[in-house]
Amino acid sequence: MSPTALVVADPRSPVGIRTTLEALGAARALLDRSGGGKVALALLGHGLGDVPEAAKRWGADQVLVLDDPRLAIFRSETYAWGAEGLVKRLAPPVVVLLPGSTMGRELVGRLSARLGGGGTSEALELELEETRGLRVRRPLFGGKASETLSLPFPAVASLRPNAFAPSEASAAAPVEAVELPKAGPAGPGAELLERSPVPVSDTPPLTQAPVVVSGGRGLRGPENWPLLEDLARALGAGLGASRAVVDAGWRPAAEQVGQTGASVSPQLYVAVGISGAIQHLVGMSSSRCIVAINTDPSAPIFKVADYGVVGDALVLLPPLTEAIRRARAGAGP
Amino acid sequence: MEAVVCIKPVPEADSRLRVAASGVTYDPEGVRYTLNSTYDEAALEEALRLKEAGAFEKVRVVSVGPPRAEEGLRYALAMGGDEGLLVETRPDDLLDPGFTAAVLAEAVRSLPHDLVLVGRRAGDDEAGVVGSALGEHLGIPSFAFVTGLTVSGGGSPLKVRRFTEAGEELLSVPPPVVISLLKGAQDPRTPTLPNILKARRKPLLREPWTEVLSRHPGAPVRAPAMRFELPPPRTGAHLVDYQSPAEAAEKLVKLLREEAKVL
Repeated sequence: MSPTALVVADPRSPVGIRTTLEALGAARALLDRSGGGKVALALLGHGLGDVPEAAKRWGADQVLVLDDPRLAIFRSETYAWGAEGLVKRLAPPVVVLLPGSTMGRELVGRLSARLGGGGTSEALELELEETRGLRVRRPLFGGKASETLSLPFPAVASLRPNAFAPSEASAAAPVEAVELPKAGPAGPGAELLERSPVPVSDTPPLTQAPVVVSGGRGLRGPENWPLLEDLARALGAGLGASRAVVDAGWRPAAEQVGQTGASVSPQLYVAVGISGAIQHLVGMSSSRCIVAINTDPSAPIFKVADYGVVGDALVLLPPLTEAIRRARAGAGP
Repeated sequence: MEAVVCIKPVPEADSRLRVAASGVTYDPEGVRYTLNSTYDEAALEEALRLKEAGAFEKVRVVSVGPPRAEEGLRYALAMGGDEGLLVETRPDDLLDPGFTAAVLAEAVRSLPHDLVLVGRRAGDDEAGVVGSALGEHLGIPSFAFVTGLTVSGGGSPLKVRRFTEAGEELLSVPPPVVISLLKGAQDPRTPTLPNILKARRKPLLREPWTEVLSRHPGAPVRAPAMRFELPPPRTGAHLVDYQSPAEAAEKLVKLLREEAKVL
């Protein structure tokens, strides 16, 4: 009995699309390891326009479209109700994989409660258990530990951004429009009063960026941040900061990485002039590869880093940015 | 209107974790606990400010946890909460977040709850699952990643500002609703000594979790932990050896491309 995977897409933003592709990649790899099975992609929303046309080449076997005014804004209630209807149409057992965007991370609790199966967030590894359910390994304490859970079918998991390879473009899959029942979730809904555009920034949002470059006191003052920003641009990285420099008012609180700030797990984390207080390590130690640049060879950051350069960040950054630019230019597009 | 805030004590960030004999969780021996998760204190601060602005008559605090969670509830009452409810577990009861949400829902249902506030996620499992699951069990709307909240009281709709990757949204939402705060707008207050003394006399009810759960329709599913693991100790960084900054840069880029394969 091969299981069916349902991925609920988040086509609302570039981050949503990237994490949706990661969920499709994870679904395909999961099913292929246990003898195959169908991957269905659910598109929920209203006025989806040409999204289904694009999404049919994202790597699913089937695209199910729920286009309904009740789904115009994302609400976990209506989206869980819509997704539940789709889960019931699929051949059991069903595994629902959700993107690591805010939508996926919010939906997982409600959808699993509604389906009456197991649910969890931030999945790092997935494995099917023959008849029982889905095994999920996920981080605890900011990556200081991990746990493996057994989620009974129908299992729902949202994925940690950057933990799974995105799916490859595919031949066009069949697209099916699905009608929602007239009777919807009880109770009045929410009304959207305004939507403010995403602030224009040439760096990706911190928690989902595949590369993060963070600066600390070793940069000696806010006037030296352009050096760090140049490095971030060369790497296409999100920009982070230690608590010390946020507390000192050098950088905005939104950039803080650590226990009271953002928790990140990029492919590459570059800590520049950061000593590595536990407060900071909790928020980044699950990154795949960590590079540290610091003048003090005994700084704790070198204990968690994979690669280190002992030296003055202000002297080391310009040639590093230059070398990365050259390497990337040589690597082609 | 009345508000309920859900709080949870979690291990301190610098706790040394060891695998418990069972292999499915950590050994509580030697772990120091915070009174409450940072995000939960931010949620409580938000509720207290709204109460002070006249939006709520009462703010109640609920925790599902072992007997020591009472300390966290007392602290919350010292911050300004009016009443506490401890849904008591035994130290060896392992409740996963989805299951906890079902228990919590029955506790919240027994209290007036025009607004239920939860922190963004707990500091230990970092799941962020409880908020919307609680909404589902209570049959009310829920919103997560909320960055701002305006409550005028008298049952009128709440103004909810939330983060999305496509831009910030401002929503009008009728109560009752579950709100999961991304981060508090202000630093949580520190209780004063008179308030700490006063908190000792505030009502704090205790109920065993099994009793609370018996009021839940149906049996919520459990997602048991099979394994708890610590990563292999990091061996320390490979330090790049160099004569000039340019050489350091070249060597580092080579390692990142050829060995780590991240460039």
